[in-house]
Amino acid sequence: MLRLDGPTSPNLCQTVHRRDFLHAGSLAFLGLTLPGFLELKAAGRTTSDKDVNCILLFLEGGAPQMDTWDPKPDAPAEIRGPYKPIPTNVSGIRITELFPRMARHADKFALIRSCYHTNPAHPQAKTWMQTGRPPLPGIQYPHPGCVVDNLKGARGDLPAHVLLPYRLDKGQGPGFLGKTHEPFVIDSDPSDPSFRVRDLRPPDYVSAVRARRRISFRRLIDRSFLDFEENCAESRLLDANFSQAYRIVSSREARQSFDLTGEPDRLRQSYGMNRFGQGCLLARRLVERGVRFVTVNMFDDLAGSWDIHGQSPFTSLSALDTLGPMFDHAFSSLLEDLRQRGLLEQTLVVAMGEFGRSPKINPAGGRDHWPACGTLILAGGGVAGGQVIGSSDRTASEPRDRPVEPLEILASLYHALGISLHTELDGPGNRPVPVVEIGVEPIRELFGAA
Amino acid sequence: MISTLLLAASTLTVSGAGSLALMPPDITLQGQDATQRLILIQRTPQRGSEADLTREATFSSSSPGVARVGAQGVVRASGDGEARITARLPDGRSASVRVRVRSAGQPPPRDFRNQVRSVMTKSGCNSGPCHGAGAGQNFFKLSLRGYSPEEDFRALTREGGGRRISRQEPSRSLILLKPTLAVSHGGGKLLETDSLDYRIVADWIAGGAKGPAPDDPKIERLEIHPSQATLRPGVRHRLVVRAFFSDGRSEDVTRWGKYTSSDASVARVGEDGMAETAGHGEATLSVWYLDRIAAARISVPFPGELPAEVFRNADRHNFIDDLVLEKLQQMRIPPSDLCTDSEFLRRASLDAAGILPTGVEAKRFVADPDPGKRSRLVDALLERSEFADLWAYKWSDLLLVSSSKLTPAATRTFHGWIRQAVAENKPWDRLVEEIITASGSNLANGPANYYLLHDEPTALAENMTLTFMGISINCARCHNHPLDKWTQDDYYHLSSFFSRVGRKNDLGYGFADNPNSLKETTIFTASRGEVIHPRLGRPLPPRPLESAESIHDRPGRDRRLPLAQWLTSGENRYFVRAVVNRVWHHFMGRGLVHPADDMRETNVASNPRLLEALARELVRSEFDLKSLIRSIMNSATYQRSSRLQGNSHDRKYHSHYLVRRLPAEVLLDVVSQVLGVPESFAGYPEGVRALQLPDSRVNSYALTLFGRPAREINSYSERVRSSTVPQVLHLLNGDLLSAKLRSPEGKLQRMLDEGLTDREMVRRIFWSSLSRPPSPGEEAEILKLFGPDGDSSASREQKRRELLEDFWAGVMMSKEFLFNH
Repeated sequence: MLRLDGPTSPNLCQTVHRRDFLHAGSLAFLGLTLPGFLELKAAGRTTSDKDVNCILLFLEGGAPQMDTWDPKPDAPAEIRGPYKPIPTNVSGIRITELFPRMARHADKFALIRSCYHTNPAHPQAKTWMQTGRPPLPGIQYPHPGCVVDNLKGARGDLPAHVLLPYRLDKGQGPGFLGKTHEPFVIDSDPSDPSFRVRDLRPPDYVSAVRARRRISFRRLIDRSFLDFEENCAESRLLDANFSQAYRIVSSREARQSFDLTGEPDRLRQSYGMNRFGQGCLLARRLVERGVRFVTVNMFDDLAGSWDIHGQSPFTSLSALDTLGPMFDHAFSSLLEDLRQRGLLEQTLVVAMGEFGRSPKINPAGGRDHWPACGTLILAGGGVAGGQVIGSSDRTASEPRDRPVEPLEILASLYHALGISLHTELDGPGNRPVPVVEIGVEPIRELFGAA
Repeated sequence: MISTLLLAASTLTVSGAGSLALMPPDITLQGQDATQRLILIQRTPQRGSEADLTREATFSSSSPGVARVGAQGVVRASGDGEARITARLPDGRSASVRVRVRSAGQPPPRDFRNQVRSVMTKSGCNSGPCHGAGAGQNFFKLSLRGYSPEEDFRALTREGGGRRISRQEPSRSLILLKPTLAVSHGGGKLLETDSLDYRIVADWIAGGAKGPAPDDPKIERLEIHPSQATLRPGVRHRLVVRAFFSDGRSEDVTRWGKYTSSDASVARVGEDGMAETAGHGEATLSVWYLDRIAAARISVPFPGELPAEVFRNADRHNFIDDLVLEKLQQMRIPPSDLCTDSEFLRRASLDAAGILPTGVEAKRFVADPDPGKRSRLVDALLERSEFADLWAYKWSDLLLVSSSKLTPAATRTFHGWIRQAVAENKPWDRLVEEIITASGSNLANGPANYYLLHDEPTALAENMTLTFMGISINCARCHNHPLDKWTQDDYYHLSSFFSRVGRKNDLGYGFADNPNSLKETTIFTASRGEVIHPRLGRPLPPRPLESAESIHDRPGRDRRLPLAQWLTSGENRYFVRAVVNRVWHHFMGRGLVHPADDMRETNVASNPRLLEALARELVRSEFDLKSLIRSIMNSATYQRSSRLQGNSHDRKYHSHYLVRRLPAEVLLDVVSQVLGVPESFAGYPEGVRALQLPDSRVNSYALTLFGRPAREINSYSERVRSSTVPQVLHLLNGDLLSAKLRSPEGKLQRMLDEGLTDREMVRRIFWSSLSRPPSPGEEAEILKLFGPDGDSSASREQKRRELLEDFWAGVMMSKEFLFNH
């Protein structure tokens, strides 16, 4: 049978959204008689009392572990690279000099230096790291933000999962959950001075009452469409998008969430006046206002990204002189800002890319793909900071101890968000698919267990 | 346990006269220790295997001195001669197979090309993530899946300080120490020391570690058993794979095959060739072994028997319906009834020509009592100029016509040529032939621009096969295709056809920035020019795919002439099926082969017999696409309702019409048409419709938002048909609907000027937007909201106008309007 958004009351009229048409004058009765996604969403399910949000920073291209958060000062020059290690505010933890601000917050984040998988191609690796599985035929696993949308639904008027600024080609879709769980992609650059999410407000001559009236007429017409392909994903998706769009436009708070001009200039500058910095700030603003999951892509294609192969058209190792500070400012400001607002404990921050990079600097002055070993960062959301989990060998070529697979990261993420690892999703052909395979455990050390 | 399985098997036989078979047939075992795994299956001619009964069977051999058989059904050679192997079920039924054993005393072959390479491939040594990567792994590089045995042999014997192979002490060879983890190995443990695979490599080394030789036996054919099976969900079925070599030997290679499933939600297959069904539907299980591919088709029909009348009484108009209904019956999916006249009129107009009928046309069509009116409508639509616009647009998508590489003038020339070809219904084979053989000025001869959009011979070979045959050979540029049968040699043989295309005054990239550029490039046949095969270091003569014969150059003859002849021949099944599938996809919302541009052999059609029949029909009509379109549009299959009738689980077999959002260009055009306000495109005259644009780069927020393809890559995935929140926001808050509704030039203003009553307004808006009248219930509810007529004060006029704008906007945001259904 059809499942729209999970097991909800069959009597949809009992769950009318508070902002429905009761107060829309003579059209009131329309809203009462028509079923719709609005109501289903309002009845969204949650699986736990724990209400932790997540900000996932995706570092496309793959950051070089030894030049960033896993320095190897004792390795030969062609491996250790030009960046020197610096101490942090946690004794024993060193990162490279590219991240002086992060060094003051090491007590707030945990590093995993032993993450690995086996696919060195960007598309497959992006899929693997974000969905926990390599690409498989016939089944597409969802991005965790889409899983959160599916399991917890929207909180308030904002979408459950916002992705910004632009979407990557792989690993960022709802997969088998279906298009009703697509992320809300803002598709505009938050560092642009004229940044605003287009079409968020109606033209001046269409008042709010009129906008509501249009929706009501639409629903009246669509009653006749109910017999057509009730199961059709495209048609359900359109309904879901309408209710989502309507919630966004009808809520002042929702509109304001996307308005960065409400943030003090000094704060904006501390994040960095670039796309990633402002994206991180927007992520904090959205989480503060009820968005459960924000994915921030540091880049939307490989050009200029962490993909530092050396030879043209790729950048070389020296690109890190720019990328390092860009990340340092945005990440450090995000942690400070979340903490000052008392949000850090309820917000898990994860920073990862698709893989690490080759230990040896290649003749072109860059580093190539290296899935066998990479570092990632977790903070907030119950994560015990000031620790390093796992380690890599002398050359950061492979994990030396505590090797961590992508699916364990995903399990830890779900664990932090209060999603039981036994939760089953509605898979292809109505087959139950566990959020992570049975037997995969969260990384307990992250949450303070030795 | 056994009894329940038997019960299951016997229930399955009810649907057909099943017989037992021991597979594979005609077994020849050659050499010492040669083995063959057998499977006992229950099968019918139509449904293939219905159950794998091997585990229930007891096996015996008529002469164990010739061949012994184990409890699992594995036959092993023991002496030369002939034996009969019999498998008997507890209920007394049995099946047998003849086994011949030859040269039983001879040690088994252990050559590098076939045996050692198979072991390395199966173990994953030469896979993409491991040593098969472009740069190898840890200074050890193998060719991807072993496409180049010569290079691999060199890497094993000449590189790595000679430690990879130790002929004196085979077990000290790194290629045995590493994968068994006797020394550390980044790839982990891949071999057990007591395994057959280990023995093969060790024996080969002990035998002198000889390299690949020109007279090594070559693989000729790969067989999979069963090739077809109809099963219930949740059952296991073993696959058996046999390879045939040029020296006449055959071998059970099941254990070395690489298996994949096209749909893991229907059936999965393990590394050992054991398949297991999961859900309902169909899946193709493919096996890859030494560059050859074989595929097994697994059907898992939906539960619940349906009475035969359901299919007997269903509407049928032509051969398409017979074949669709046959498939539906096999999969147990009931068909929907035919759609209504007004639904058909709307659907056919949108699909064939990208237009909506006017309100007047819709009323007339619904009232027409002629029983032949649907096929008359089809004929009329095919003659409309909008038909040519839509199909010219569609083929321009396919051919990637865009000003990103062409000057605007050249873009117009190419598009104009395509539109002319559609308008005169140029046969598809001729149209393609004219593109492939195009010469002359790119501003005078449209198709010459094909050679500017794609300039390298290899890029041309890749694009031609993808565009016109639906196959992707680009992997074979650097190595044999890992998922298909195309080899690197195939790739360079084919590219050679394009090696003598000359360009005079070639502009290269970047010129498109100047919109007024009138520069002209001339395409001509050069007298020399070759493509060098990178591994062989020499050119290969032009040779079509799947052909054993190269084509010899003749003085003065363009290499592209024999190419076009081969490509566009009715014998080229890829060529015919690719265009049939594209046209079917356009009208039915899903290709018979899905995705519609992936025609590789392992991507089997949902209804192979229908695809064959349509292909035959197209060849018979001499590639008349209008005739193909007519057959499709006149079929009951196309005319089925999109209302679900017990078939909501089907999106694949065409039990009902699949609803889909209007494509970006059609949506924009019909919004403009219905509201009477044309969209304006910078640089184009007023009134030009989106579907008439020659170029995909014309600036339009709405077209981009609703998923217009950029025409950069040749793929169906480039066009986005799904809906997004920003699209909805644009409908709600953008200028797409609001500005046109408000326009003093628009349809609404004209209707207001006519002085129509509210009731007349509502009906007119319904007919013109939805091609149907409002139901009495709808009309009453809407009018109640409108309030009483009669008050003609200025503020009331303004309010009424706003109400009508909002009502019409609501209509145009409805699914009934935004979807073709």
